[in-house]
Amino acid sequence: MIRIAAVGDVHLDEDVVGRFRPALEELPDSADVLLLAGDLTRHGTEAEARCVAQEFGGLGLPVITVLGNHDHQCDQVPQVVKVLSDAGITVLEGTGIVLECAGGRLGVAGAKGFGGGFAGRCASDFGEPEMKAFVRTTNESADALGRALRDLDCDLLVALTHYSPVPDTLAGEPLEIYPFLGSYQLGQAIDSAPTALALHGHAHHGTERGTTPGGVRVRNVAHPVIKQAYSIFHLGDHLVG
Amino acid sequence: MTEHGAGPPDEYVEAEIHRMLAEDPDVAEQGITVVRRERGLVLYGEVESPHRREEILRRVSERFPDVPVTSDIGVIRTQAPTQVEELP
Repeated sequence: MIRIAAVGDVHLDEDVVGRFRPALEELPDSADVLLLAGDLTRHGTEAEARCVAQEFGGLGLPVITVLGNHDHQCDQVPQVVKVLSDAGITVLEGTGIVLECAGGRLGVAGAKGFGGGFAGRCASDFGEPEMKAFVRTTNESADALGRALRDLDCDLLVALTHYSPVPDTLAGEPLEIYPFLGSYQLGQAIDSAPTALALHGHAHHGTERGTTPGGVRVRNVAHPVIKQAYSIFHLGDHLVG
Repeated sequence: MTEHGAGPPDEYVEAEIHRMLAEDPDVAEQGITVVRRERGLVLYGEVESPHRREEILRRVSERFPDVPVTSDIGVIRTQAPTQVEELP
């Protein structure tokens, strides 16, 4: 069995530092890895990234993250990634990593993802340059996620995104904003590999559970949705350990 | 719940408040819902600290002093989970 802790949308700044730490200190006893589903900061500044490093660094277990839209706000992504990496937090963007856990090899592939909408109700790569750029961003992000998932050699495969791959976990959000909350292309990428679980954030008013059209379980772990420091999932009963 | 100011809200004010909550760097909250009620606007949602909740109400009241605004924004709990989800 492999034990995965996950949370997204913690939006750290100085006023939040220390709020998660007491619960996080318990993690080495209850999880093999902590996955962060983006929007770690409020505005994506280097200073806020240092708050994330302070809160989520040095926990005694691997911490893996993708960035979210908030983490891009101040155009300091390289600085944010460096601060997180220096704190031992692995940042994925169209990439993956395999961890040796007691229960087996856990593969995590991640990408921020993007909006675009869901099958039959989505934006098209057509018309104005701005519209085409929007949809191409969606496609490129999903393609990178799919490649990263298919490239991993592991016993259990998990997809980590900020934007949602399915509409199921958006239930509770206004229908009108679904195209800004996720895209079906992410679900398609997840279904292109033997993915066991897909985790995302971004939809603060959404719901926890859904599945892709291919049957992969999806969980919205946005902090306002799970209403606890993190959720823990146990997977891979078939694995030894 | 705290009420501020007086004056009729309209759809454009609602839209402007919603955008301000997302775009004002001092707030930067995309998860706050603005609902129009008979007696004014109500702000719903959850934030990560009491400071942010106070800041939202302060900024909205400052920018729209004539709009009656009620806040029912919560601070999200950060306790460790008491249960795990088994995914066989």
